[in-house]
Amino acid sequence: MPKSETTGIPSDDQLEALFAEARAAAPDLPEGLAARMLADADAVQEGFAAAPLPQGPDTAPRPGWFARAFAGIGGWPALAGFATATVAGVWIGMSPPALVASEAAYYTSGGGTAEDLYLVDTMPAFDQLAQEG
Amino acid sequence: MAFDALSELEDDALLVLYANGDRDAARLLTARLAPRLLGHAQRLLGDRAEAEDVAQEAMLRLWRIAPDWRPGEAKVTTWLYRVTANLCTDRLRKARGGHRGLDEAAEPEDDRPGPVERMQQAARMDALQQALDSLPERQRQAVVLRHIEGLANPEIAEVMEISTEAVESLTARGKRALSAALAGRREELGYAEE
Repeated sequence: MPKSETTGIPSDDQLEALFAEARAAAPDLPEGLAARMLADADAVQEGFAAAPLPQGPDTAPRPGWFARAFAGIGGWPALAGFATATVAGVWIGMSPPALVASEAAYYTSGGGTAEDLYLVDTMPAFDQLAQEG
Repeated sequence: MAFDALSELEDDALLVLYANGDRDAARLLTARLAPRLLGHAQRLLGDRAEAEDVAQEAMLRLWRIAPDWRPGEAKVTTWLYRVTANLCTDRLRKARGGHRGLDEAAEPEDDRPGPVERMQQAARMDALQQALDSLPERQRQAVVLRHIEGLANPEIAEVMEISTEAVESLTARGKRALSAALAGRREELGYAEE
């Protein structure tokens, strides 16, 4: 084998031969160690069998009828809209604007006939606005 | 599945079978991987008994991770080399607290008298191990993975969690340091007569 005579440092070829020898001399697995590893494997594997199966989507708890109905109408944001409409309705009932009151009086007084229905002014405030300019 | 059919499967497929309750898969994985782990740990630690403990612990971690293993993402051997190296590093750090003499670390495993060739080979391997022991940990790991385990640089980079360039630098420096460490061991290496 070639070798550096001056430094005593092994050549690349010598090193490679040494590595190859080390590769070939890989240790055998002692029986006792193999048995311990397999005992570990069996013990861990038994743990897998004993572990509860993960719950799939089908077994997840379903929401009740109220939760579904609530979600169906839009949830909390929709409830806020309902509350606003309710308050506005109560307000108009308690203190109706003049236009609402006059129209309501016309229909509730019993003076109207079927023909009058064709004469319903759907924009009663428009005339007043036009007058005001 | 028959043992013969199993032996044709990749490591990660065997791991999935093991996770699904196949006992033969564990036997095959142990036979296939454990000797390499043992050899690797022994070269990093320079101690047979500790290397056996590390190899067992590394395999135990493999068994535990089996159900979560995603086939095709990482190589089982790469993962195992990394776990083994980390376990060895932990042990070496703990050992630095006490003192492990070089002679003790380099004790030949087998001192039975045998054929001359066998003794010469044992002496050469012993000299190599002592030279490896003298390297810094990361250099030793890189040299062993590259030149003895025969891994390619990108895989070593994955094992050591560094760049391929860093692997090249480590292996080059490690090899130079190893050569220097072996320089005074002509007789053990069998070069004396030349």
